[in-house]
Amino acid sequence: MALFAAGLSHKNAPLGLREQLAADEDKTREILRDLVAGGVLREAVILSTCNRVEIYGVADVPGEARALAFRQLCRQRGVEASTVEAALYAHTEDDAIRHAFRVAASLDSMLVGEPQILGQVKDAFALAQACEAVGPALHTLFSQAFAVAKRVRTETDIARHAVSVSFAAVELAKQIFAGLSGRAVLLVGAGKMSELAAKHLVEQGAFPIYVVNRTWARAQEMARALAGSPVPFVELGTVLAAVDIVITSTGAPTPIVTLDMVAAAVRGRGARPLFFIDIAVPRDVEPGVEGLGDVYRYDIDDLKSVVDANIRERLREAQRAEALVEREVVKFRSRLGDVEVIPTIVSLRERLEEIRGAELRRALARLPDASPETRAVLEALSSGIVNKILHAPITKLRESSRAGAHRSWLELVNELFGLGRRP
Amino acid sequence: MHSHLQNIAIVAYVCAMGLALTHLVQRQVLIHRLATLGTLIGWIAHTLGLVMLALELGRPPLGTLPNAVSVVVWVVVLLEMLVERHSGVTVLGAFVMPVVVVLSLKSSVARPASLAPALSNAWIWIHIALALIGIAAFVLNFAGAIMYLLQDRQIRAKRPGRFYHRLPPLETLDHWTYRALALGFPFLTTGLILGAVWARTAWGSVFAFDPLAFFSVVAWVIYAGTLAGRAAGGWHGRRAAYFAIIGFVALVITLGAGLFLPGRHGA
Repeated sequence: MALFAAGLSHKNAPLGLREQLAADEDKTREILRDLVAGGVLREAVILSTCNRVEIYGVADVPGEARALAFRQLCRQRGVEASTVEAALYAHTEDDAIRHAFRVAASLDSMLVGEPQILGQVKDAFALAQACEAVGPALHTLFSQAFAVAKRVRTETDIARHAVSVSFAAVELAKQIFAGLSGRAVLLVGAGKMSELAAKHLVEQGAFPIYVVNRTWARAQEMARALAGSPVPFVELGTVLAAVDIVITSTGAPTPIVTLDMVAAAVRGRGARPLFFIDIAVPRDVEPGVEGLGDVYRYDIDDLKSVVDANIRERLREAQRAEALVEREVVKFRSRLGDVEVIPTIVSLRERLEEIRGAELRRALARLPDASPETRAVLEALSSGIVNKILHAPITKLRESSRAGAHRSWLELVNELFGLGRRP
Repeated sequence: MHSHLQNIAIVAYVCAMGLALTHLVQRQVLIHRLATLGTLIGWIAHTLGLVMLALELGRPPLGTLPNAVSVVVWVVVLLEMLVERHSGVTVLGAFVMPVVVVLSLKSSVARPASLAPALSNAWIWIHIALALIGIAAFVLNFAGAIMYLLQDRQIRAKRPGRFYHRLPPLETLDHWTYRALALGFPFLTTGLILGAVWARTAWGSVFAFDPLAFFSVVAWVIYAGTLAGRAAGGWHGRRAAYFAIIGFVALVITLGAGLFLPGRHGA
């Protein structure tokens, strides 16, 4: 009995192939049932996202079972099996454990640290559970994978910093302002990125939102989308004095927020900082405004360099996360051994207890006049013998599982005591 | 006995400082925990040391300036642990512990001075205690100002530096420094007034030259100016941070003058 993880991902297979192989929930359910009920796999979880299609399984002969499982998957999806076979990667044992941990912790993702994958793995696991395709081995594996993913998220900064321009802008605002709730935001001009940044700010509690646009109708429309209020273009200077964060993205050829305008707005602001996020090219905010007291200005290049630095930071953190995963794999190996050994120990004990109970009843039947003391002595004697006999094999099984060499011992014990043979 | 405890405390503070600075650049949970543990161990040893000393002397351990500075350190470490716990800003230790270490070392190398004969009135203890609480608040004021300037610098540099994301927002830091200033100033003021009144009754003159008294008036003027500037509305952010640093330098000189120059407070 062995664990394996096999499949294809954005690393080794083109999108076209992944698309063909990816299955929706109903199809996956069907395949899972076929695989487990058909006896190909003892346990199975199928993870199917736009970046990867993978089968995690437990089988007696993993190589054979893996090939069979993918042939079945290909048949279901109408894909030529040979093309898939060529792109397939396969991990067994420790490598399979490591792979499961890395995928769940988003270390194998296209954008390292992206948060969606953990949810997708959880969904895949729940689906397999619903199909009764999950046994003790995969249950332990996935529970631990979720725990490892959580550790990676909390103990490293892998998913901490923004890797998009709009989020980077929001993060910067958080470095300046003590909380964003109740901060007034001014949106000048329209644009996808600026609207997105404004939306993030609103989600963080920023309020009220003002929208300025040369086209009044457009200003009204955007104000409605963001639950803000439109302001006429000529009042740009006035409204500047009232806001904390300004996002600009107009197509104007020259700066529309000038040094003089900002100087006038800053006068009498007191201790309130003013933060300009200028996403427009050419720039909308005149460079040099940041020299006016507590004014901060980031243009699109500045934001991009922040994003680049954050991506580099993520990759650095990923190194730390890999080391953490490695330690967890070693820890997990011994636990998985226990999981495989425990059912055998339990049935061994049950078997001997069964024999003891039957023999005891027979003996007591022949001693109808036995006093309670005699019965107690017989009871103690028989269970003493059973426990003494069991002690050595159970200890041996536990030891061997810790050393990772329990498979042959399990077989031997099952064979010797005739376990798992009876109906 | 109390000097052994004092030494243990200083060693623990030095270790905690090293760990806190490492945490600032490395950001590892374990290192931060060790730094917190080191600070706590140092503080407990320090507390026991002060209690032993007080029992030995039969009065509060404030009679000599080195002892008094040691009490300042004790208050600062306590405040640092409380603020850090309360605010969740784990980098605070990296900015406060160096000050703690410098002050501890300063108080431990200074010549032990005998108790001035004038120190026998209850008012004098209040004078010392108030001034010390004020100084402790100004240590936090100073740490907040340093953090403010670092944060402002890296936001303006537009390139994420080593401490990026590790410092609290600018507004929070500005608020902190203001609060520490507003807390420390009345204590320092009252402490100074009591001292002056006492000097008049004891020596017949307020202005007889004493190095500590002179520099503490300088520091007071700087802090009073900053507070007035803030209250008037115009001063905040970077300017307030610069003045917090200048004021603190004056305070350190004050304590240094008291510890190392002859005068009424010192040897």
